[in-house]
Amino acid sequence: MSTDDTTAGHLQELRRGTVVLACLIRLRTPDYGYALLESLNGLGITVDANTLYPLLRRLEKQGLLTSEWNTDEARPRKFYRTSDAGERLAGALTTDWHLIDAALTRLTTGDER
Amino acid sequence: MNASLTDRYVYAAARSVPEAQRTDLERELRERIGDATDALVQTGRAPADAERMALVELGDPAALAASYVDRPLQLIGPRYYLAWWRLLKLLYAVVLPIAVAAVAFAQVLSGAQVGDVIGSAVSVGFSLVVNLGFWTTLAFAIAERSPGAAAAELTWNPEMLPQLPELGRPGKLSELIASIVFLGLFAILIVWQQFGIPWVGALESIPLLNPDLWSFWLPYFLVLIGLEMLFAVAIHLWGWNWWLAAANLVLNVAFVVPAVWLFTTGQLINPAALDAMGWPWGDAGDVIVPVILVVVIGVAIWDVVDGVIKTVRGRGGAMPTIGRI
Repeated sequence: MSTDDTTAGHLQELRRGTVVLACLIRLRTPDYGYALLESLNGLGITVDANTLYPLLRRLEKQGLLTSEWNTDEARPRKFYRTSDAGERLAGALTTDWHLIDAALTRLTTGDER
Repeated sequence: MNASLTDRYVYAAARSVPEAQRTDLERELRERIGDATDALVQTGRAPADAERMALVELGDPAALAASYVDRPLQLIGPRYYLAWWRLLKLLYAVVLPIAVAAVAFAQVLSGAQVGDVIGSAVSVGFSLVVNLGFWTTLAFAIAERSPGAAAAELTWNPEMLPQLPELGRPGKLSELIASIVFLGLFAILIVWQQFGIPWVGALESIPLLNPDLWSFWLPYFLVLIGLEMLFAVAIHLWGWNWWLAAANLVLNVAFVVPAVWLFTTGQLINPAALDAMGWPWGDAGDVIVPVILVVVIGVAIWDVVDGVIKTVRGRGGAMPTIGRI
């Protein structure tokens, strides 16, 4: 990346909220931390493990995700799933995302109204 | 042993979280470290290196555990920082000068040497600085760590806004002139009384103050008066600030402490003058001496407090910082 620290910092801020939204949408099918990390990064939503794991825990605490330990394999894994409250939040965030996108588009094209 | 590094990491992180959350944290950490290590091994790294890299990426286990249980990683966070800072400034500005002056005064009354007075004032001042700072900080650090204690916050409101510094210089000029004239008269009186005070019959040719004091103390007081004049000019030029308020305290202490000491030890007044005035005037001496002491000390303390008040009003309570003068 050729971007300097300032740009990197602003990009990180811009993306912070979108990671939450991406998690909520992606975890409609239950999955565990590392698989989620891989699939988000594969989709181009870059997120760091040190950001994602604490985020998952926070969302669970807020009741937006539910979790369940899967002990079928040798390594027990915590599977997260979007709760009903998480589903509602995802809806609200998506709506807002589109509003912002539309507003920015109007700003860019100069059609302010 | 390959697993031992992970085991040690998990142990280090888990031991600082409450028992109830420990098992959960341990399992989550093992999953995370294991998955990260496996992924690194798949990219062709040796298992031991992969494990090490995974742990390095996780970072300090104490920090990780703190984020897990939402424990703050700072002594006093933004929620309490301003309240802590304001309280500390207030304590230092109010308690410190009063306590130091009181100790110095008590020492003087008990007839201690000048060196001892200064020594004990400095040591009490130092221990107060340390103690006030420590206990205040400790209280806020505990508050920072107690859940749901936010009610104790000192909430800001518009009434706390500082007054703008007064711009009325002409008003201050009269204050400056009054100070200089008063100080000048005072200095002249100290010199003049050496040749007697013509309007007091008994003292027409007898010095009121002990002539022995000309060897040191009376010149000392004259120098102090000179410094007070410079101080009045400084106030006029720059207005009150914390440096000048501190200088005011120093000047007052430098004047009152020796004066009270000389007075109470009977060195200030010329014995011949006392004889000429017929001192002690019956029982009146028992009343007059304490009254003089209380007035002198009270005026000095008020002067110091007044300086602090004017500084706080003018500066919004800012503490001295280099370059703010």
